[in-house]
Amino acid sequence: MNDLTLERARLTLADAQALITREARLLDEQDFAGWLDLYTEDALYWMPAWRDDNSQTEDPDRELSLIYYRGRSNLRDRVTRLTSGLSPVSRTLPRVAHILSNVELGGMDGDEHVVFSSFVTHAYDPRSDRLSYHFGRYRHGLRQVDGEWRIASKIIRLANDLVPTVLDVNAI
Amino acid sequence: MKPYRLVDLVDDRPAEGVFRVNRALFSDPELFDLEMKHVFESGWVFLGMASQAADLHDYFTTRIGRIPVIVARGKDGVLRCFVNSCPHKGARIATQPSGNARLFACPYHSWTFDSSGACKNVKWHNAGAYGQGFTEEDHDLAPIARFGEYRGFLFGSLSADVPSLDDHLGEARHMLDLVADQSDEGLELVPGRVRFTFAANWKMQLENCSDQYHFTSTHPSLIKVLERRAAGENGAAVKSSLAGADFWKGGDEGIVGGSYIFEHGHVVTWGRMEPNPSQALYSSHTALLEKFGADRTAWMFNMRNLSLFPNAQVAVNASTQLRVIRPIAHNLTEMETWCLVPKGESAEARRLRIRQYEDFFNPTGMAIADDNAVYEECQTGMTGQDGPWLQGHARGLAATRKGGNDLSDRLGMEPVSSVAGPSQLADETLFQGYYHAWLDRMSEVLA
Repeated sequence: MNDLTLERARLTLADAQALITREARLLDEQDFAGWLDLYTEDALYWMPAWRDDNSQTEDPDRELSLIYYRGRSNLRDRVTRLTSGLSPVSRTLPRVAHILSNVELGGMDGDEHVVFSSFVTHAYDPRSDRLSYHFGRYRHGLRQVDGEWRIASKIIRLANDLVPTVLDVNAI
Repeated sequence: MKPYRLVDLVDDRPAEGVFRVNRALFSDPELFDLEMKHVFESGWVFLGMASQAADLHDYFTTRIGRIPVIVARGKDGVLRCFVNSCPHKGARIATQPSGNARLFACPYHSWTFDSSGACKNVKWHNAGAYGQGFTEEDHDLAPIARFGEYRGFLFGSLSADVPSLDDHLGEARHMLDLVADQSDEGLELVPGRVRFTFAANWKMQLENCSDQYHFTSTHPSLIKVLERRAAGENGAAVKSSLAGADFWKGGDEGIVGGSYIFEHGHVVTWGRMEPNPSQALYSSHTALLEKFGADRTAWMFNMRNLSLFPNAQVAVNASTQLRVIRPIAHNLTEMETWCLVPKGESAEARRLRIRQYEDFFNPTGMAIADDNAVYEECQTGMTGQDGPWLQGHARGLAATRKGGNDLSDRLGMEPVSSVAGPSQLADETLFQGYYHAWLDRMSEVLA
């Protein structure tokens, strides 16, 4: 037990960068099955709302979030809906490019290795010929499962929160 | 065609079983400008909740039509509403959605106003060599003509020539009571303001809240998820309060839903929901029964989508949502949305309500974005059509009866008209309430 703890994998900046870059690519390629595989079964996926102009909601049980899920199967629900062909806004999925930058290791939080980064997503919606962009910061919490790095938590701090028509998990 | 006559815009011939709305109401920019002036800036509109300015000197900002306003609680504890514009040069004084301020200082030349809107200082006034005309002018922030509260819901009007707030809300007050009565302490908004836009006319939102016809057509992707969860394929899912209800499912089951039209454009559509643990309110069921009796309590657990003409909606279905509609252009609308809750509910009930809300009501959730998309398809599709009349206001005409019915009697509520029936009836005649109020307000300017 002690040995295992001592041997707990060290997360390098290169490992962190590789994983969150892969996540971005899988979303942009609409490989949602591959995307879900990056998450642990008990993963937290959380995009807080804004309480006012200056602060975000912090207590998801007492305050509203834009998205709050515990458990990867909730993300699978979202993918089921998104790819069902039954959602008028998602029948044609927007073409999305995630741009990641400012990747930084943030130390340990419990058993998770914290990774900070900044993101911009650009989305083109062929349905409406509309461009939108979203930006903010990610905080990934990574954990090793069977020798592979997995996402145990992802907190998305969305800066421009006035949502134009739609904003789904494929574009944040 | 222009200038419009009202009969060209709404074709209302009840004796012949005809009620039609012209597409121009959605697509004409000039008509939109008239609406802003005469529907929004000349009559009662919803402003917000008293709980948004609960303490002394608390304030929040909003708009009446295009006019920015501040709602603030003065040091005397009284709520007031005044125009958010400095009398000096017109600058907006309060720029944040909410806050606490004993004094509002104009960012431009530092004129200051207290939390009741009174001007406290004109900078360098004595050295200002003002003439008599300026001295005689009122420098306070301009109060709006009428301002009122009903059980925590705040309303204002830029015109003084309006009925009293009680008259304006009329029998729709019963529907607000059903929400306000859920806690002895009143209502509050869960922290977290969510806003979104859609590229369509504001009346699409007004109608859709009252539209039971669309649910299984616009939201089958959500229904698929509900089925997945019902089959146990997502053990981590939060229970949906819609999953167990029948009012939207389309079977032929007697009376499971209906609608009421009230005076002045307020309408509600409702669906039967049996009290059950998937509803956050369920933990209060016994207490509510004791306090209000079976009939009233049953109504509290029913799905109810209430619209208060022209700009507020209280949706009680998958969770509880307060929506404020802000028209920006004939083809652009901004929505401000909140999770509306009874104060003092248990932590567990609050958590359930919030999770259900996010899943369904957020533009980042699984339902609302689909509504936005179909509004936009309507806006795109109806542009420049020669045949002006929409066919979207006709379902239920033959089932409409004057006055209330057995179910409204149980609340002592007297609506103008009512419809009740199986889920597939999916009444559209309640939209008529909106257009009658619209015609009433627009009759100031169009013959």
